[in-house]
Amino acid sequence: MTVALQSGRVLERTVPMRDAVELRVHDPQAAREVRPGQFFQIGVDAPHTLLRRPYSAAWADPERGDLGFIFNVVGAGSDWLARLDDGDEIDLLGPLGRGFDLDGDRPAICVAGGLGVAVFPGVVAALLARRRPITMFIGARTAAQLLPARRFAGADVRAATDDGSAGYRGPVTDLLLRGGGYELFACGPTPMLQALVQRAPVLGISLGSIQIALETPMGCGLGTCLGCAVPGRGGGYLLSCQHGPCVRADRLDWSRMTDAFHD
Amino acid sequence: MTDAVSLAVDLGRGLRLRTPVLVASGTFGYGFDAPAADRASLGAIITKGTTPQARPGNDPVRIAEVPSGMLNAIGLQNPGADHVVREYAPLWKTWDVPVIVNVAGDSIDDYATVARRLDGVPGIAGLELNISCPNVANGLQFGVDAQLAAQVTDAVRQASSLPLIVKLTPNVTDIVAIGRAVQSAGADAVSAVNTFVGMAIDVRRRRPILSRGSGGLSGPAIKPLALYAVWQLAEQLSIPVIAIGGIMTADDALEFLLAGAAAVQLGTVNYLRPQAAREVVEGIAGYIEQRGYTRLSQLSLRPAKVMAGV
Repeated sequence: MTVALQSGRVLERTVPMRDAVELRVHDPQAAREVRPGQFFQIGVDAPHTLLRRPYSAAWADPERGDLGFIFNVVGAGSDWLARLDDGDEIDLLGPLGRGFDLDGDRPAICVAGGLGVAVFPGVVAALLARRRPITMFIGARTAAQLLPARRFAGADVRAATDDGSAGYRGPVTDLLLRGGGYELFACGPTPMLQALVQRAPVLGISLGSIQIALETPMGCGLGTCLGCAVPGRGGGYLLSCQHGPCVRADRLDWSRMTDAFHD
Repeated sequence: MTDAVSLAVDLGRGLRLRTPVLVASGTFGYGFDAPAADRASLGAIITKGTTPQARPGNDPVRIAEVPSGMLNAIGLQNPGADHVVREYAPLWKTWDVPVIVNVAGDSIDDYATVARRLDGVPGIAGLELNISCPNVANGLQFGVDAQLAAQVTDAVRQASSLPLIVKLTPNVTDIVAIGRAVQSAGADAVSAVNTFVGMAIDVRRRRPILSRGSGGLSGPAIKPLALYAVWQLAEQLSIPVIAIGGIMTADDALEFLLAGAAAVQLGTVNYLRPQAAREVVEGIAGYIEQRGYTRLSQLSLRPAKVMAGV
């Protein structure tokens, strides 16, 4: 694997939903190469931080040479990134990992919980380009934390919130429809993914037709530190950075999946 | 780097490196993820810790960032010695950088088994004995007891004629005593230090961040501690000391070289700056050249001068 160290330039910082920041970055090579679901290791220079921060690209516009990142400010690294603004340089290592396999022909259902929504603007755009019918389920604690539906133009968007302030009141996985025949793309907290996998057989969905974008802490993002392990089916571990972050749900051992990463 | 400056290092038993910058075990895999250009500046690659049989490693969470450092508890995930000999060594043979295999195990027999398996295999330039892994059960036992450290070193010495580096743990009262013991038992060099045992707790969730509870601390946070250990070892041992511990820049590496290290290993920095080794090599060469030296061995500390006539 050849790793591309790239230097992009921040064009714009916006707040796409409450508590989140979106950076529009100009980096033509990265924008051209990245596939939906792939990620970058972004360099941060905050005091006492060390590691790069892994973020999937939210979307890419190869014609303009731009790509976007959506993230929450949760610590010193993301706080530092959130202070970048128009004209600042940004150090991107990537694109890394495996993106979603979007080349099927079945209707697509996307399920996003919390900040898991960050990967989906690009996924939905790519699915649309493949003329696949798309239903987008997004869940958040409250209405203000939902990424606006216009970010998924062309998809049938349904929302769920914990407090009922928008859409369905309850977990986003409750929105899932009975009957197979479609393919699922999911990203969100582990309990959401577990609920999804538990409900799948009841709803007639095979685990092989569910693709998940994993979110784990990462050291290098390059497959060398072995820090981002997740339990694999049949024993052992998959590396989120190398075998993922996008994997089919039947490759994971859900009986060994814990709330280690998210609650 | 100009030809006038030689950065070559001789670690003994025929192990000659063209630069004093190695990459530390566990931070470079088995060398295959790095582009050839990034290998070109390396003195040697030290592989992930390798055991007789494949190991799956620890449950997640395996890593955590802490101020100026990181904790890891990977648990020696590796494909086993046979796989290394069969699949990797033939490719290493074609590289122009020596590959040193880091050897780990649970018993003296484990270490000797791996050493015997790797002995004489083309493509394998040396062994680094990991008697200091803090992240598996009993991983530290050989590294904290001078007598056991000597026994395992001796067993490996008998099992293999390859150049032998013994990697020391800093989690001891007297690292020099362990260093002397492995030197007497036949080590060609020591590398110091492995990670310091530490932990971090998620206060909100009231849970250790790492699944094993504890892990090994690396990164800039440990550099002064590692430097002190290396300084003592270099003073007291007659075999070369290879320094490891939070080296991020050429100046960091120079601190260790001035303290008496024969070479350095870059570890954690490989995770964030894949080009670090090249930068460090260039920085060392520039420093030597600027001072009119031609060889690494001319680097040494200078005592403070007394001000004449004051």
